[in-house]
Amino acid sequence: MPLDTDPQTDDADLLARYALGDAGAARLLTVRLTPRAFAQAVRMLGDRAEAEDVAQEAMLRLWRIAPDWRTGEAKVTTWLYRVVANLCTDRLRKRPRMSVPLQDVSEPADLTPSVEARMQSEARRDAVRAALADLPERQRIAVMMRHFDGASNPEIAQALGISTEAVESLTARGKRALAAALKGQVAALGYEEG
Amino acid sequence: MTQSPQGPGNDDRWIDRMLDEMADTPAGEVPDALMSRVLADADAMLPPPGGRVARAPWWRQFVESLGGWLAVGGLAAAAATGFAVGLGGLESIGVSVPWSLEYESYYDGTGAFDAFGWDMEEG
Repeated sequence: MPLDTDPQTDDADLLARYALGDAGAARLLTVRLTPRAFAQAVRMLGDRAEAEDVAQEAMLRLWRIAPDWRTGEAKVTTWLYRVVANLCTDRLRKRPRMSVPLQDVSEPADLTPSVEARMQSEARRDAVRAALADLPERQRIAVMMRHFDGASNPEIAQALGISTEAVESLTARGKRALAAALKGQVAALGYEEG
Repeated sequence: MTQSPQGPGNDDRWIDRMLDEMADTPAGEVPDALMSRVLADADAMLPPPGGRVARAPWWRQFVESLGGWLAVGGLAAAAATGFAVGLGGLESIGVSVPWSLEYESYYDGTGAFDAFGWDMEEG
């Protein structure tokens, strides 16, 4: 797959060109946006096969909405971010929750520290994914944009259509809710309750 | 293997560390098969050159379905004529000024229905 050959052109302009039947614009958008959508889905789901399905579905929705896209109302990347986040959340909510605490799982006989660390790390990620999926949408997006994408308050504010001041409180509430959801599993997840 | 939080009020820090760990999840290369599928979807849904023809509003579709504005004009003229003819028919039952619908004078003139005939029975 070739690199982005037209980095100067805005995503919204490319989408407008796609809506006018320009196949080249579709190619550029695919190169630009699919890796982002896929990486976000992998982080949220921890499963590459599922992440592929989500990225493809999100891009399909982008092609579908192209003729009705209203330039200037939202950034294409922000719109796609929300779509991927919501598709991942739907999948996470359908997943069966881990009902047995990690420390109760029988360990293999030749358990090495690296294997144990890997298991614990994966358990932590699963727990955070499940807790994130339970957050209200705006809190989830704010926390994810801040921590996964290093987005600034103004960027998050623009994505969510809220004031910059509200972002701080939204993120703090999201993290408090995460802490409350994960509190009972702190020790099992490799942390000591202080 | 446990990681100790840094003391009281450290909720944010262990949550931050968990989130940072998740952010570091390596996504790896995007599979070529995925890119091909996305492009195939884009091609399948590619609008025709010049874009999709905007759909006309419902009232315009209605007018078109009747045969255009000329047909709608003829239909309106025919409806108005039919209405006038219908009103003219009222004169045959004694309503001389249709738009005032003087039923009261008509019934008073006949005298046939005064008190539904009870006055005749009572003498």
